[in-house]
Amino acid sequence: MSAQAAGAVGVSRPQLDQAAAPWRRPSIWAIGGGLAAGIVLPLLLVRIDIGTYLITLLILFFVQAVVAQSWNLIMGYGGIYSFAQVALFAVGGWTSGVLVHSLGWNPFLAILISPLVAVVAALGIGLPTLRLRGVYVVLLTLAFHELARVFAVTGPRFISGGGYGLVTVQTFQFGDAIGDQRTIYLYYLAGLIFAIATFVIWRVIHSPLGVAMTALRDSETYAVSRGINQFRVRLVLFAISAFFTGLAGGYSTHYNGGISTTIFDFPRIIDLLAMIVIGGWGTFGGPILGAGIVIGLNQYLVALGDYQTLILGLALAGIAVFAPQGLWPLIRRLYENYLAPEPLAPAVEVSPAAPRDTTEEL
Amino acid sequence: MSTQFVQAVWGGILFGSVYGLMALGLTLVWGAVRLLNLAHGAIFVVGSYVAFFVVSKLNLPILVALPIGVLAAAAFAYLMHLIFIRPVIGKPGFDNSTLIATVGISIAVSAAAILIFNPEYKVIPPIISGNFTLSDVQITKQGLLVIGTSLALFALVYLFLTYTRRGMAIRAVSQQQEAASLMAIPVVRTYGMVIAISGALAGLAGVLLSPFFFLNPNSGFNPMIQALIVTIFGGLGSVRGALVAGFVLGIFESFVEVYYGVAWAQPGVFLLIILMLIVRPNGLFGIGEVRRL
Repeated sequence: MSAQAAGAVGVSRPQLDQAAAPWRRPSIWAIGGGLAAGIVLPLLLVRIDIGTYLITLLILFFVQAVVAQSWNLIMGYGGIYSFAQVALFAVGGWTSGVLVHSLGWNPFLAILISPLVAVVAALGIGLPTLRLRGVYVVLLTLAFHELARVFAVTGPRFISGGGYGLVTVQTFQFGDAIGDQRTIYLYYLAGLIFAIATFVIWRVIHSPLGVAMTALRDSETYAVSRGINQFRVRLVLFAISAFFTGLAGGYSTHYNGGISTTIFDFPRIIDLLAMIVIGGWGTFGGPILGAGIVIGLNQYLVALGDYQTLILGLALAGIAVFAPQGLWPLIRRLYENYLAPEPLAPAVEVSPAAPRDTTEEL
Repeated sequence: MSTQFVQAVWGGILFGSVYGLMALGLTLVWGAVRLLNLAHGAIFVVGSYVAFFVVSKLNLPILVALPIGVLAAAAFAYLMHLIFIRPVIGKPGFDNSTLIATVGISIAVSAAAILIFNPEYKVIPPIISGNFTLSDVQITKQGLLVIGTSLALFALVYLFLTYTRRGMAIRAVSQQQEAASLMAIPVVRTYGMVIAISGALAGLAGVLLSPFFFLNPNSGFNPMIQALIVTIFGGLGSVRGALVAGFVLGIFESFVEVYYGVAWAQPGVFLLIILMLIVRPNGLFGIGEVRRL
């Protein structure tokens, strides 16, 4: 009897509009296909001449895409103008670098600590910063970036390495694997980090937390009056974002065999920002697409030297002003128009009282 | 008076006045256009490099180079307004777009400066040379000129905003943009004017300050951060706040530098601003923003 009642209750739940539901699931086939392609790809690539180079590019792509996605989570979705992302990356990198370099830890163990320290650092920045708005956040996070840079350059010797950063940190070793074989293992490790980060960020965006943060970005007063705790949502997001950024930082230290103080240079921030803006600000796929484009273009434009920075800067400004949506919404529209299996359900009705049309974000 | 004390006061007043000058430009633009101009440091660099070019390549005296540098900075700022700011005025996402656009412009300017000149440090000659000593501290005449100029400019901007038609238009636009446009004030043109004035102030700061530390493509970044701090300390959009906060922060930084060492100057300033934001979130003279639905 009670089981029946429970069943009846289950049935009587209101049907969710699947197309509009922010918690909708992606197709199993798409995920499986992506994973399989990711696993097989390096095995095929090593058979061609420039394969190893392409694999290292993919590793770079994975690391940068993780950072860009995490940044987009707070900047694009959360509307928090934080410029501390590169500094958090550095915190992760230095944590694991110091643990391995000075205390002789195993790199695989050490990179598990770096996200935790990055989260602690993020909470340290977040507590005074995230109650503030817009301009204040920009300033305080830039200040944190600058402080971290000064500390990394002039700090104690086991951190600063005499002003250049850590130059001889032990790299990842996979048994006796060397050459191509080792590159493939490095690829899988980076790919794993990327896959986990992407999955978690997808889940966060398509969860009540994600909806809450989008609501806060679009209409703060309305969201707060519906009972969303703005500070807590922002702090949790900041911590999630810092976690993966720190992890990517730790990986990058042991991949490169060191971490240099030049990562604090402004062009690094610009590269990451360009990924988010070109791909699509506040979209899930945008930063991934943008990371691919920026890394690919950088390889072509590397011969241009400083012209590259000039072009990137102007492109950034141009896209931000004339195509603020980025490329991802364009691709998505094309997909929905031509390739989607069935026409999507009609858009959710948004009541005229809603402060602005929110159908696009869902 | 001890040497250290005089040193700290002199350094504080000197840099405080220049931070105030930079902050004045930022705060005007923020007040009127609601634009956080992260390209302010780039405009500073444009002004200084143009002045450097006029002095070193055209062999003209610095007194000729100064107005040319200032005009170039103003023209650059206005051009930036025309191309990147004006198209998004009044559109949703104005904050995002302009923030990223100004970051992009600032990186493009420093890349262009490396390409046109080179990354090496440059020297701009001071406008007046010579110095005298006051209880063992060297006081340069250029320093006195800088302090005098920025105080005079503060007075000028204040008078301009208070008593001229255009100044009143700027104040009207920053108080209530819609009401201002109903009173037939050309809002977008006023925006352009504010941005050009702010550019001129940044360019002037650049030319005056460059004799003190060498000029390089990124030398605008630090003054801009300092100016941002000053702006927030004084209250966004407040001219009086920029003046007072410039001196307060300049002197505070200078004292920390002299008594505790250079390494503590920046952390000290950041600590001060964090405390300030906890105690008075809107700065010394800022007015709280009205939150709208």
